[in-house]
Amino acid sequence: MVSKICTGNYSAAYGSMRSRVRTVAAYPITPQTFIVEHISEFVNNGEMDCEYIEVESEHSAMSACVSASASGVRTFTATSSQGLALMHEILPIASGMRLPVVMAVVNRAIASPINIWVEHNDIMPERDSGWMQVFCDNNQEVLDMVLQAYRIAEDRRVSLPMTVCLDAFILSHTVEPVDLIEQADADRFVPRYKPTGPILDPDDVNAVGVFTPPDYVMECRWQTDKAMRSAVEVIGEVNAAFAKQFGRDHGGLIDPYMVDDADAVLITMGTASSTAHEVVDDMRAEGKKVGLVKLRFWRPYPMTEMRAIAEKVKAVGVFDRAVSFGVGGPSFIEFKSAVFGIDLPVLNFIGGLGGRDVSLADIRYMYDKLLDAAKTGEVRRDVTWVGTRGVSQ
Amino acid sequence: MAAQALASSAHSEGGYATAFPFFGAERRGAPVLAFTRIDEKRVYRKTQVYEPDYVVVLDESLLDTVNVVEGLKEGGMVLVNSSKQPAEVDVGIDVKMATVDATSVALEVLKQPATNSSILGALSKATGLVSIESIEKGILQVFGDRLGPKIGEKNAKAARVAYDRTLVGESHGKRELKSAEKWLPDVKELPIGVAGVPMSTSAGAVGPGSFVENKTGTWKVFRPEYDTEKCTMCNFCWFYCPEGCIYRKEDHMDFDMDYCKGCGICANECPADAIRMVR
Repeated sequence: MVSKICTGNYSAAYGSMRSRVRTVAAYPITPQTFIVEHISEFVNNGEMDCEYIEVESEHSAMSACVSASASGVRTFTATSSQGLALMHEILPIASGMRLPVVMAVVNRAIASPINIWVEHNDIMPERDSGWMQVFCDNNQEVLDMVLQAYRIAEDRRVSLPMTVCLDAFILSHTVEPVDLIEQADADRFVPRYKPTGPILDPDDVNAVGVFTPPDYVMECRWQTDKAMRSAVEVIGEVNAAFAKQFGRDHGGLIDPYMVDDADAVLITMGTASSTAHEVVDDMRAEGKKVGLVKLRFWRPYPMTEMRAIAEKVKAVGVFDRAVSFGVGGPSFIEFKSAVFGIDLPVLNFIGGLGGRDVSLADIRYMYDKLLDAAKTGEVRRDVTWVGTRGVSQ
Repeated sequence: MAAQALASSAHSEGGYATAFPFFGAERRGAPVLAFTRIDEKRVYRKTQVYEPDYVVVLDESLLDTVNVVEGLKEGGMVLVNSSKQPAEVDVGIDVKMATVDATSVALEVLKQPATNSSILGALSKATGLVSIESIEKGILQVFGDRLGPKIGEKNAKAARVAYDRTLVGESHGKRELKSAEKWLPDVKELPIGVAGVPMSTSAGAVGPGSFVENKTGTWKVFRPEYDTEKCTMCNFCWFYCPEGCIYRKEDHMDFDMDYCKGCGICANECPADAIRMVR
């Protein structure tokens, strides 16, 4: 294995190559552009045996991926922000047809105001699209999760598409040491793709994605719902298999850190998790009982795991890099629903929008608030906009 | 690329390193920021850098407009691309200072004023953070991957030449430097929908038309030298200037040096050889 300094974008592209993806259809958009460029280089250099389809938009990119996947080949694409929004119409088609397309999403703010920096508001509208979604906090995880995504998505119990999410610039354009998985090891982990359902084949004619009257749709939706629930188990199995083969355990749906004896824990998604990890170390050294829950999978959501944590600790904070206007952070809303009926303070912190830096001091501020809440035990549901000028903290 | 090459160099010595640009609207030649973090163990923080140990300045003219030592740690060091002696460079505080004429090195070795590889050689000499051999390796990898092995080798050579010419010393801060004030409105002051309304603020003008205050002419290394005698008034320079800073006068052309970035397109396009780029 070669350890090399590379960006999150390179890690994503490299992961698709090592997964022996056979079709890529993508349209460039900042900050995802380098993923597309790296893949086109791999294909051009003969390192990747893949049909690279140039398309005129993200809508076409996802349409091409759906068609290619329906013909029985492994497919990959990548996008960001406005591009993801343009794909929106086709996303439920991929999941409804039960096609294991894998897509890297470099999370970037959605306009307006136009902004190219990190925010999770681009993917939140896709929560109910039937796609599994995992958030990464380092470039190694990006590479590893592209490989894992194919095993999870193509599992017969699941057969759903999946996004691998990475924060704009903070991962996409930042270099870190990454162990570049070699082809033989990747082949051992990601088996050759065998389609679950009927495929488009001129010699064995099938129809896919057909018009469906009310008599059949409920059953179809139930199947998808069951598949998403089954994914919970499969994600755990695939993570364990990956850890066994490569020695890296990224956690399953969640990755808890110092939670067992904690008074206060913070739930984070994406790179804020990595920064919070350091703050937990610092505060533990000061004797403060704080912990961290890195929320990796947004769909399927770790309902059971979150309830178990809420029963263990005295206060929970949820950090959201997105907002559901007029209500609070999407991750906060989800957590409240998961722990309904358990009386404990749950504080929501909204921050890091449009690429605003989430500093060590910001996270320490959240933990201080949480430790206060844990002390009083008063059941509260506060939403705080962190570091927003002119807004009371 | 320099920040990445430095990270790669440190990683090749067995350390952990990350590097990232300051994420903004970037263009070649414009002032940009990039950061590298080096440690023996994994670095978890994914924040920007607020308290650097070392500050590297690739364009000396920035010293007049930016407080480059803001946040610099006690005992930290500044490295400036300058033809001056370390003691002659004033950054407003007493500080360990290193200088190298990276622009001259780059022009000699690369034939263009791309100073990012040269400065890495100087950083190795000034700080000893990473060896010059590792810097060469890092440049070969990062520049080589991106621009081809030949250009990688040339840049590695530039680093080595700069390494040998780097001067290390101390400088005393005499001038007073303030960081440029930024307009940071609160939720009541910010126009709804971030509409671009022309406004005058404590930090200067904002909104449409405000950019004329930003004198981008300091970016240039070369400037056009114009010969009225040779000029045929064909207007090619006026047409091709990407900055719109060439004006047509009665019987000659006028160059606005406040905004000219010295790209040389006018000289390249001039059919009468009336424009020459000089340093």
